[in-house]
Amino acid sequence: MSESANTTVRVDGVSKQYDLGGTVTALDDVSLDLSAGSYTAVMGPSGSGKSTLLNLIGGLDTPSSGQVVVNGQDVSAASEAERADIRGTEVGFVFQTFNLMPRLTAVENVALPLVFDGWDRTRRRERAASLLSSVGLGDRTDHVPAELSGGQRQRVAIARALSTDPALILADEPTGNVDTDTGAQILDLFDALHAAGNTFLLVTHERHVAERAERIVHVEDGHIRSVEDVSGGQH
Amino acid sequence: MDTGESVRITLRSIRAHKLRSALTVVGVVIGIASVITFATFGASVEAEIVGDIETSNAGNIYVFGTPAGDDDFDRTLQPVFTEYDIQQLEEIAGVQAVLPRGIVQTQSVRHGNQTLARQQVTAVRPASFTQGVLVEGRSFGADEEAVVVNERMAGSFSENLTTGERLTMTMPDGGERNVTVVGVVNGTRGEVPVSEFARQPRVYVPIDPFYESVVESPSVGVRQRAYPQVTLVIDPREIPETQSAIQTYLSGESDARSLSADDTELVARSGNDFVEEISDVIERITRFVTGIAVIALVVGAIGIANVMLVSVTERTREIGIMKAVGARNRDVMQVFLVEAALLGTIGSLLGVPLGLLVGYGATRYAEVTFSLAPLWMGLAVGVGVLVGVVAGLYPAWRAARVDPIDALRHE
Ligand SMILES: Nc1ncnc2c1ncn2[C@@H]1O[C@H](COP(=O)(O)OP(=O)(O)OP(=O)(O)O)[C@@H](O)[C@H]1O
Ligand SMILES: [Mg+2]
Repeated sequence: MSESANTTVRVDGVSKQYDLGGTVTALDDVSLDLSAGSYTAVMGPSGSGKSTLLNLIGGLDTPSSGQVVVNGQDVSAASEAERADIRGTEVGFVFQTFNLMPRLTAVENVALPLVFDGWDRTRRRERAASLLSSVGLGDRTDHVPAELSGGQRQRVAIARALSTDPALILADEPTGNVDTDTGAQILDLFDALHAAGNTFLLVTHERHVAERAERIVHVEDGHIRSVEDVSGGQH
Repeated sequence: MDTGESVRITLRSIRAHKLRSALTVVGVVIGIASVITFATFGASVEAEIVGDIETSNAGNIYVFGTPAGDDDFDRTLQPVFTEYDIQQLEEIAGVQAVLPRGIVQTQSVRHGNQTLARQQVTAVRPASFTQGVLVEGRSFGADEEAVVVNERMAGSFSENLTTGERLTMTMPDGGERNVTVVGVVNGTRGEVPVSEFARQPRVYVPIDPFYESVVESPSVGVRQRAYPQVTLVIDPREIPETQSAIQTYLSGESDARSLSADDTELVARSGNDFVEEISDVIERITRFVTGIAVIALVVGAIGIANVMLVSVTERTREIGIMKAVGARNRDVMQVFLVEAALLGTIGSLLGVPLGLLVGYGATRYAEVTFSLAPLWMGLAVGVGVLVGVVAGLYPAWRAARVDPIDALRHE
């Protein structure tokens, strides 16, 4: 894929090593492009480096070498504060364990990225409430996470990921902690959001989940083994 | 990050740990309250004493001898101020009256069939009684065999002593002197300005014929009465000039100088000097005791720091979440600093009224008028907030440095 204006993510020769006594190579010379509006799944065995890849793209971590560019911004060269801004405005995270603030209500959780992005309270609430409605939780705005089901919590997390209208949504096993039906609902929601123009990068263990995407990146032992178009045929 | 939101997050966190937060706040409350208590009590005592002096004695200069380095005026003073000295002092410009006073020893004072042992009998000039201090009756004449008593003395007898009644004084040699009470006073002009003196029961007698302490005046070579203490009433507009003229005379050619030991300092002290000295002493004591109370505040601060460190550990995952959705390090820091500052602020807001209450109780107990120390109160609240912030700095810094990935993995 050639570099163009509608490339949302460019991962170029990225490696990541962890030094814990010995050196663990989590990613080894990985390159990957995501175009705007695309929907990509990452599959691979446990420990293969999927989460590491997601964290590097999302600016939660920095590569040992190589370059990550998200929406034109070089994440790998950004300062800590700049990466915080990128995490807040360019990407939205959806985690397996939801990661909601336990003492904030649904609407406050959804509005949290807007707090750090400097929105005023009224506008935050409006935006968060409308996002909650759009994920079907208009009647749960003032509930804290403990009062919500797993599926509902994940939908709050998705609404939160959308709050700053990011260029990219990163989902790390978003259906890993919910039952099959709820998982299907979440994937339907992703489909709808994808159809509305959002760019997705989704990590999963499950083939049927990965098949919701346009293509599947197979990661093994820190390398990209293959990229599969879901319509058929391997690259 | 907007402060409102960090306060909201903080309040939720405090509410989630009510007991722990309350105990932490109690530490600060105790610290602030003790500081306020001691400061208020000190200020009240000071105001009380200073007020006593200022109202009655601004234009007085007190002259007495004090051994070097000893500022204690409440001691047995030597009679060194001769009649000659008094004449000289009367001639200094700005001096309006010179009021010597001496002590007359008695074995007892009797009224009716009631005898009081060892009463202070003070020899003064009639000029010591102004209309202002007379409660009833009149002053005695210059050489009248009559006495004036203060209200405390009048009240010391079971049948209240009033003007016209008679007292019997038993002198050290056993002789008795019958005198008529001609007046009752609530103090004297030229009294040493400490309220405790005024509160003691006293009998005042005329110098002539009661006061018999005499020395030979080195200046004029004749035996004269001499007094341990002299008060000068001076023109209030010329206190500094007159005071230094008096001091010059005392340190120079005075009989008192010749009659005093070399290491005795003869001092001319104004009412204001007393005010300053006493204020100074009380302030020093107050500062010292308050300083000790500050230790309680430090303990409170350690409590905050401790709880904040626990809070940071417990909320590691929340820190990770905040960072994942765009919180910068300083936003995280802010959340924790606000929490610490809030604990400190709540502590001082509760501690100030508590301290005032206890301070008020203490002044009631000590029978002094309650006065506020606004500076200390402002300071205490400021310090409370500051204590919170300082105690929160390290925990907040730790929080800010948490790695988001580690934090999100944290259980
Ligand atoms: N903070 C870290 N310190 C040390 N090693 C790490 C760290 N994070 C990840 N690793 C290692 O890097 C490798 C890749 O980890 P990663 O979490 O990306 O795997 P994964 O593909 O997401 O696995 P799973 O499917 O189990 O979530 C693993 O071997 C892991 O042990
Ligand atoms: Mg993983």
